[in-house]
Amino acid sequence: MEEPVVLKTEGKTSTAAARYGSLSGAKKKPGIWEVQVMGRIWRLFTSIKLALLLILWLALSTLAGTLIDQVPPGILADRFAYDQWLTRAEGRYGGWTDIMERLQLFNVFHSLIFRAIIGLLVVNIVICTMNRWRSIWNTAFHTRIRMTEGFFAHSRYNAAFDTALTASLAAERVQKTLRGSRYHVKLEANETSVALFGDRNRFSRFGTFLTHLALVMILAGAVAGGVWGFKDNEFIVAEGMTRTVPGTDVSIRVDHFADEYYIDGAPKDYKSEVALFDNGKQVKQGTIRVNSPMRYQGIAFHQAFYGQTAVMKVQDKNGSVVFNESVPLPYQTRDGSRPVGSFNLPQQGLVAYVIGPRSGEDDPLVRAGEMRIELYRQESRVGAPQNLAQGTPADLGGLSFTFERESRFTGMQVVKDPGVNIIWAASVVMILGMVALFYFRPARMWALCVTGADGTTRVHLAIPSQRDFSLESEFAKLRGKLTKALADPNITDGSRKGMDVV
Amino acid sequence: MSELSQFAFTVALVALAVGVGLYFFNVIGNRNMQLGLAGGGTLSVAGPTGFQTAAGRFATILTVNTFVFLTLSLASRAIATGHGPFANMYEFSTAFAWGAVAMFLYFEFRYKMRTLALLVLPVALGLLIYATTVPRDITPLVPALQNDLLLTVHVAVAIVSYGAFAVGFAAAVLYLAQRNDSIGWLPTQPRLEEMGYRAVLVGFPLLALTIILGALWAEIAWGTYWSWDPKETASLVTWLIYGGYLHARVIRGWRGDRSAYLLLIGFAAILMTFFGNLFFGGLHSYAG
Repeated sequence: MEEPVVLKTEGKTSTAAARYGSLSGAKKKPGIWEVQVMGRIWRLFTSIKLALLLILWLALSTLAGTLIDQVPPGILADRFAYDQWLTRAEGRYGGWTDIMERLQLFNVFHSLIFRAIIGLLVVNIVICTMNRWRSIWNTAFHTRIRMTEGFFAHSRYNAAFDTALTASLAAERVQKTLRGSRYHVKLEANETSVALFGDRNRFSRFGTFLTHLALVMILAGAVAGGVWGFKDNEFIVAEGMTRTVPGTDVSIRVDHFADEYYIDGAPKDYKSEVALFDNGKQVKQGTIRVNSPMRYQGIAFHQAFYGQTAVMKVQDKNGSVVFNESVPLPYQTRDGSRPVGSFNLPQQGLVAYVIGPRSGEDDPLVRAGEMRIELYRQESRVGAPQNLAQGTPADLGGLSFTFERESRFTGMQVVKDPGVNIIWAASVVMILGMVALFYFRPARMWALCVTGADGTTRVHLAIPSQRDFSLESEFAKLRGKLTKALADPNITDGSRKGMDVV
Repeated sequence: MSELSQFAFTVALVALAVGVGLYFFNVIGNRNMQLGLAGGGTLSVAGPTGFQTAAGRFATILTVNTFVFLTLSLASRAIATGHGPFANMYEFSTAFAWGAVAMFLYFEFRYKMRTLALLVLPVALGLLIYATTVPRDITPLVPALQNDLLLTVHVAVAIVSYGAFAVGFAAAVLYLAQRNDSIGWLPTQPRLEEMGYRAVLVGFPLLALTIILGALWAEIAWGTYWSWDPKETASLVTWLIYGGYLHARVIRGWRGDRSAYLLLIGFAAILMTFFGNLFFGGLHSYAG
């Protein structure tokens, strides 16, 4: 965040503009139409007003997104659940529901418009930053050392000292004083005068590139995560079972799940005892809790939810076991009241649905301690649904089904996000940039020591700037130090005071 | 410890309420004050009355006491609960008020800007009064919030940032009220404008840090550093608004009403971010 100090105060604005580059973007007049259009688009994106407009738009979208009920992400993926959700929304928004759905108002933060605004904002940021690179570079490295006396007279903060010292001796003292105040000083001398330029924290100017680079890195991190990462919000593993993370050689075995509660019924802890395997070899063992995921080779396992399972055993006519697993019941039946899950019997071409009893009340269909089983071949039901009492086999579709016991599953969020390290790196870059910009603010000042005909020297000192409280006090301090250094000179202070003390 | 916290809270609330009154008495109606200074002492027109000067001194003492007792209240409650002030709206409102008072005192002592008290302290008082209306029971933390260190730092940084933006808001309102420096007892427009800018210089990086720490926690607890949770998004938008303000001011030299309005919009966004969890769900929906 560099202030356009020289342009505003130097007086010779045209030469300064040529030297430092225009701050408001190219103002050349291109001849051909295409160039003009390109120039216009470029200029549009160099505009801070566009950025503000985009931000305002984001703010309004966010307001909409907070005031209007948003579809939970899980529901959006499931057509049936989404229709159900919309029906409920209709109760609230009536005839507007359809239009709102089309405008993606129920999913504002993932809507096309929202993403487009963010995309445009990033383009805006990149172009603005590119546009300012040259002028900031020049400000940092190619500053004019010798300024005219008019420049000193017109600077907001300026002072002049008369001293009996020669110009070079006075310049030496000025240089020493400025160095004492942590300025990096350059000199330029001729027969009658010495010009000085002092620069402090000049590299802080590049903080602006760090912060903007960080924003672009964040976008890159998000894209990297989207392209090379994956995320499974419903990675369900029953106690005692092992499941492989799709697309990897990593599998996880859940030995035990436990939930603990406080006396008032509020949840206290959810934890899964697990073991991790890579290509069948155990590589890790431990507990996954809500605030302590397990990480292995970029894959993170987070505790997310839990639920009930039914341990089912299926035997064929000969009595040999074709299935014996803990079947999670993570879903709800269509009337939304009973837990349901399913398992495949691929050899028989069958799918079995397991339905548990309604919790917390007497269920006439499935009594407590029972499981109901429905069997399907493709879309058609096989046989009549059966209620299974625990431990008692029942025949269905030529197979014998046994509900052995109830158990539990743990639901994990399994995430691989190669972009996340880019995000943390971006965060560090962002903070470094801001610390440089805001807490090591760059400051520049000029001095000119001129020896007159009578042999005395007049020392001019100036900080050209917009009105700035900290620069003002900085200037006052410098003036005090120079007064001492130049040994009792007559001082003329021509500063325009911006700060009235109230 | 819990009783001590309550006691200190009450003392702070009373001290602040009286302090606000005294600030108003001290500041408003001091028409001649600025004239006296502008005259460089030679044209010494009547300054504040003796009563007003005394009121000002007591107002400052009371505000310092508010700060001390709020700190005591928050610290003793943290000892009682075993974690920072992030578990419910009572804790967070008190902490926000603490941030506003702390930043105000910083501005009063650093820049001699006690006039900002007219708006910053009523905001803090409002937050404390609001805090008395919400449940203050100490309930144990649900699993998601069991990350004491990270969340305590997250909230600590957030409240200092919010406090700074409250100061910026006060400066912007006074700036807009101070048309052409026509009100003698208010600081001049350029000075108010500068104060707004200083406040954003403090608040803006801290809000960025708040968001980053929040993302860090979200990644650990939920497996996603960013999920467009309403409060998350609101804080991002707030940050962008202040970012817009800084760019407009520094690059385009916006100094006038427009940038003052941006500070008002920014603070409205802060309040929306703060109270947001009362009317929208999401990961921050722990509010009681």
